[in-house]
Amino acid sequence: MSRRRVAALFRRLVEEIRRDRPSLGLLFIAPLVITGLVTFILREGQTPPIDAVVVNRDGPAGEVAAGVLGTALQRQGATVIRAADDAAARALLKDGTASVAIVLPADLGSGGATTITVVTNGLDPSGEANQLSALQKALLSGVASAAGRPLPTIEHQTLYGTPSNDLITNFAPALVGFFIYFFVYLLTGVSFLRERTGGTLERLMATPVARGEIVAGYTLGFGLFAIIQVAVLMSWVLGTVHLQAIGPLPAFSVGLGVPVAGSPLVAFVVVVVLAIGAVSLGIFFSAVARTELQIIQFIPIVLVPQFLLSGVLFPVSSLPAVIRPLGSIMPLTYAVNGLRQVFIAGAGVDAPGLQFDLIVLAVFAVFFATIASLTIRRDVI
Amino acid sequence: MNANGSAPFGGGGPAIRATGLVKVFGPIRAVDDITFELAPGRIYGLLGPNGSGKTTLIRLLMGLTKATSGRAEVLGVAMPSRDNLGRMGYMTQSDGIYPALTAGENVRFFAATYGVSGADPVLDALGVVDLAARRDAITSTLSGGQRRRLSLACAIVHRPPVLFLDEPTVGVDPVLRVAFWSHFRTLAQAGVTIVVSSHVMDEADRCDELLFVRSGKVIARGTGQEIRARAGTDDLEQAFLRLGGNLEESR
Repeated sequence: MSRRRVAALFRRLVEEIRRDRPSLGLLFIAPLVITGLVTFILREGQTPPIDAVVVNRDGPAGEVAAGVLGTALQRQGATVIRAADDAAARALLKDGTASVAIVLPADLGSGGATTITVVTNGLDPSGEANQLSALQKALLSGVASAAGRPLPTIEHQTLYGTPSNDLITNFAPALVGFFIYFFVYLLTGVSFLRERTGGTLERLMATPVARGEIVAGYTLGFGLFAIIQVAVLMSWVLGTVHLQAIGPLPAFSVGLGVPVAGSPLVAFVVVVVLAIGAVSLGIFFSAVARTELQIIQFIPIVLVPQFLLSGVLFPVSSLPAVIRPLGSIMPLTYAVNGLRQVFIAGAGVDAPGLQFDLIVLAVFAVFFATIASLTIRRDVI
Repeated sequence: MNANGSAPFGGGGPAIRATGLVKVFGPIRAVDDITFELAPGRIYGLLGPNGSGKTTLIRLLMGLTKATSGRAEVLGVAMPSRDNLGRMGYMTQSDGIYPALTAGENVRFFAATYGVSGADPVLDALGVVDLAARRDAITSTLSGGQRRRLSLACAIVHRPPVLFLDEPTVGVDPVLRVAFWSHFRTLAQAGVTIVVSSHVMDEADRCDELLFVRSGKVIARGTGQEIRARAGTDDLEQAFLRLGGNLEESR
């Protein structure tokens, strides 16, 4: 391998990307905007208000229960109205006046096991689950206050981090990994496709350049931008800078301030190894694609399954057993796991779990580099 | 041509030798049993309609595609050979240059791939194609003719003893065409072997020797005059037809 030729390829790529404003924006601005937005939604998101309508089928005995339940619900910020029967309650649900209908059965006061029916409109399962858990809480506290003694409270402790960790603490490491993977794949794929379709690869193949040198040059070139991207994104995700109010501008903070238990440098290493693999992945898929559009069309095949199966969104342990093994052949799985180890559990390079993730990522990178260089052939036709 | 003034290739043998070269793509015999020897320091014109196999023949000679059978040798070395590619220049049919780079950066990049460094070879190559003044212009802002010239500069920056030019004058205006050919002649006089493919017959007389290519075969070879005499016509297009060619390939 000629160092001079690799350096020439590296310099050329850096020049090309440096002049490509939209790509720079994609690399450095888009991840900040998206992580900022996700953080904002997760931190400032609101649970929709509960508008309950109560139907009592148990006559005077039920009235007492309805009153207790209503008070308990109101204490949780819900509005409570009454309806004469099921049909009236469902009508209120339908026209949006109520978000949940609670039907107290005729045998409520009988002392036996009874069933309270709860009706929701069924359009927003996660919002409705919130309503149900609020209802459950109200029910318990209603029962407790009727019985005249307080309920025990639950105190939550965690091994890593604190129970009050917001969702973004868990989500941020995964997002960092995913964005690097996504953008490096996309830019390398498009860039190498241009090389193939623009006739420059044909020309490169007519020089003494070896294909390994091309893969190395691309890895260094895009690797450099990936490293800068990781540095920018990590500073944004981890840092918070408070700015004083200046004139009419109110004081505000920049950065998401996500806590990191381990060393940001270790997290950085994990992402860089992931990014190196993504360069080769992009080169490989540029061989299969014929147009730049097809590189985009590969996203649902290449990236979306990784997004779903690697633990970014759903914990790997919650995946159906049948598809879980699929996650274990995806590099992102190891990056996300490794990053969470560092961010949340504070793992260092001496942690065996993290070492395993890093080794697997390195193996993926070597594997992709090999198959990528096999797609660069002098004998292209 | 070389810096020390010696002949770029002094082996005495042919610069390029093809022996029974065949390239088959599915049912098509793109190159069909071609055998020839090309002497150093001469300009050879590969003439034939589009699809006759000229580009495939060039790619076979350079080792850029694997021959189904037969053998290609350049400067005494059997192709494919990655190292030997350093002694060849290739101007592809498409420009094959990087639009986001400046003209100078393009030439410098290809120079580096051939192991040539420093500003002088880059400036020399740009000077030859009359682009020295535009070396800092971004390539995508150059005109079509300028890009063609830049493409040539990238192919000659390492001063190769063998030059393959695939349709170098397509889209080039008549004035520039004259300049191109006078430059090719200068290179040939310095000992460079040049293989030029073209489907424009009026460029043929600028070559030392012509190879008429049709359906993957060389159907005639000789100087323009020899071919005219053999075909009994002054018009090379007529000669091509009479010697067994047709101007439309059936694929």
